Amino acid sequence: MKVSLRRIAVLALVAACVAALAAAVAAARTTRSSADIRNGGTLTIGLAEEPDALDPTLARTFVGRIVFLAMCEKLYDLDSHLNIVPQLATALPQVSKDKLTYTIKVRKGVKFNDGTAFNAAAVKTTLERDLTLKGSVRASEISPIKSVDAPNATTVVLHLSSPYSPLTAQLADRAGMVLSPKALAAGGTFAQNPVCVGPFMYKDRVAGDHITLVKSPYYYDKAKVHLASIVYRIMTDPSSRTQALRAGDIQVEDRIQSTDVPTLQKDSTVTVKKAITIGYQGLTINIGNKNGLLKPYSNVGTDIARSQYIRTAFDAALDRTTINKVVFGGLNQPDCYPIAPVSPWYKPTTKGLACDLHANVNLAKQLVKASGIANPSVSLMLGGTDPVNARLGQVIQSMEDAVGIKVSVTPTQFTTALNRADAGTFDAFAVGWSGRVDPDGNIYGFVATPGTLNDSGFTNSKLDYILNGARKSLSTKSRTTLYRAAMQIIHRQRPLIYLYHPVNYYGVTKKVDGVQIYGDGLIRVNAAGYTK
Amino acid sequence: MGGFLLRKAGAALIVVFLSSIVVFIGIRALPGDPAVALGAENRDPAVMAAIRHSYGLDKPLPVQYVKWISKALRGDLGLDSRQLPVGHTIVTRLPITLELAFLAVLVGTSIGVLAGVIAAVRRGKLSDHSATATALVGLSVPHFWLGLMMIIVFAVDLHWLPASGYVSFRAHPLGNLEHLLMPALVLGTGLSAVLMRQTRSAMLNSLSADYVRTARAKGLSERMVVGKHALRNSLITVTTVIGLQLGALISGAVITEQIFVIPGFGRLTLDAVNERDYTLLQGVVLVAATGYVVVNLLVDVAYSLLNPRIRVSGASNQ
Repeated sequence: MKVSLRRIAVLALVAACVAALAAAVAAARTTRSSADIRNGGTLTIGLAEEPDALDPTLARTFVGRIVFLAMCEKLYDLDSHLNIVPQLATALPQVSKDKLTYTIKVRKGVKFNDGTAFNAAAVKTTLERDLTLKGSVRASEISPIKSVDAPNATTVVLHLSSPYSPLTAQLADRAGMVLSPKALAAGGTFAQNPVCVGPFMYKDRVAGDHITLVKSPYYYDKAKVHLASIVYRIMTDPSSRTQALRAGDIQVEDRIQSTDVPTLQKDSTVTVKKAITIGYQGLTINIGNKNGLLKPYSNVGTDIARSQYIRTAFDAALDRTTINKVVFGGLNQPDCYPIAPVSPWYKPTTKGLACDLHANVNLAKQLVKASGIANPSVSLMLGGTDPVNARLGQVIQSMEDAVGIKVSVTPTQFTTALNRADAGTFDAFAVGWSGRVDPDGNIYGFVATPGTLNDSGFTNSKLDYILNGARKSLSTKSRTTLYRAAMQIIHRQRPLIYLYHPVNYYGVTKKVDGVQIYGDGLIRVNAAGYTK
Repeated sequence: MGGFLLRKAGAALIVVFLSSIVVFIGIRALPGDPAVALGAENRDPAVMAAIRHSYGLDKPLPVQYVKWISKALRGDLGLDSRQLPVGHTIVTRLPITLELAFLAVLVGTSIGVLAGVIAAVRRGKLSDHSATATALVGLSVPHFWLGLMMIIVFAVDLHWLPASGYVSFRAHPLGNLEHLLMPALVLGTGLSAVLMRQTRSAMLNSLSADYVRTARAKGLSERMVVGKHALRNSLITVTTVIGLQLGALISGAVITEQIFVIPGFGRLTLDAVNERDYTLLQGVVLVAATGYVVVNLLVDVAYSLLNPRIRVSGASNQ
């Protein structure tokens, strides 16, 4: 026994040495990589869409968050594993026992990009603006905040009306961006001259063409910033973006279209980066949206709404692996859940739950028979009129046809489709969600009765109870248990049928290093630069 | 003349006023709620209400129109969905399309007129057949295909020219030409094909006219006969065609601007439609409509100056 213990101790020591060595090598690699980057130069990024207002209180677009990352730091940020880490705050919030008071310590000696001091009072000004400004998109995200105090320059105290565990995640997004009180007080439109704390500061913008940021002389960590400027060019046509990358007009391409990925992977001057995103694509099933979104829900009476058997059969007929292969060239990540595998919440919340990526035609046929509905039919609305959506519709149609469910496909312009979804004039709707770090952001809005994205019109008191409990609980363990229970209900009732998590591909010229893409799909270039 | 001008200007104002109403109503007839389009992923009823309020969409249509047009008359076209002034955006983007159209006309005229003259002078010979066949190809090839081919060859493979973007002439004259060369060639190709056929036809007429036979009889060199007599008379037709094609060029620039990612007026219009940005779209279409009305007014005035009978007949018809 003694020998055995000694052996274990020796092995542990060896393992520790190996781990330390690996860590040292990794650190050396990082250092060498950083040292290989030269200072200066302009990085041009081809964005797939145009950001809306460059005002974190009003901003709504996904792509706007890419620009904000370089110019507006937040109280909290994400690390590469999508864990929440302090950015302008110095630590995660201290939460009172009753979960109604959050105390946040913020950095000292930090300046906004107009040279004024960043402090707790600025955080208070910004959060109060987020809560009260007309048209604020942030108000609903942080609505449980009742009041904000700044007892001293480095302490912010948030008083909540009810416990709200996704708050820290919200403060790791636009609600956590702190705006310069001087710029706000100057009047005019903040979006025309946005000033925050960030490695880069706003220079100019030509609508529909570009946004230019330049390196900030005020940034607290400017030694780590290599680029002199960043130009975000609006390039909505994906082929033009790819050609521009290959021609050297841009150095980073946002979201390469799937047909261009193989070409760029063969291009020796370009690195293709891949990110499984935290978003998902699925089918929203209209169960109770008879009178419109958030109006009293009652079963709409269609075949798929009135029979859980038909919904289950519809799901069982779907071969997610084949859909991915045929429609997306195998580039996405088939799955059955609203939380993506890249999220730290994925494993614990899906543990023990069944997810069959292949079709079970026999089961589907049995379920159709058991439903007692002869020749069930479903009208599938596609959220777009492009060829990819059309292919998706056709593949689903043929899979359902094999089990006896007749699907009629209606390709619909995206905004019109959203209107129809809100009005409840659909049976099933193929639509996606860009995803949020906290599970609440991917579940609550879509399936809780008061959810503002509950186009399914789904209402289930047990699920509401569970999801509200998860919002109030601060313990990761208890939230995990609650979300797993919630997913069991969603999986059984199927107000949403999840198909896959989009995998985004980004092109980066080999002359540039340090571009990072995390699971949130945002392009991070704060530490990027041209190689020597 | 004063009365004539006043009448024409009055009519133009009425047309602009009516077109502003058509624009206003037409845009609202587009499918899809702009609040949903502008809200992106956020469809919280409070956010939707706030968006509708901030763009005045919660007011009755006549109120929205009066508010918009009264501001527009004062030169304020409002703020777009990016919170940027629409007027400034249009002023920035319009000259880019005009510059592109000008360069396309330059390219189209240079190639088209020269090829047309050669084809007419060498009628029935190989050069005539080649020019005619090339013109047919030029007319048939779609802009987007030609644009993509040029990008692949000259930008991606050879790295001679940038694939996309725009720099202003003031900031970088050479860069400006580099960025606009391929788009101007793409846009100008179609025009050159039209011009080649028109020039050839007009030249053939001129070359068989009496005055050309007289010029030859006088012993003038063929170069003088073709260049000074036949071509000069043929250019009247060519100039008219260029004028007629200019509108088509500016409209056709939408596709070219999209392929070459040029921040012109056409792309601005397309983006405004896609984003359901009512304020921007109203401003863009109003400016375009006013532009057409003003150009027509100027043409009417120019005609009346050149031909006084138009003035008289216009007056007698009143």
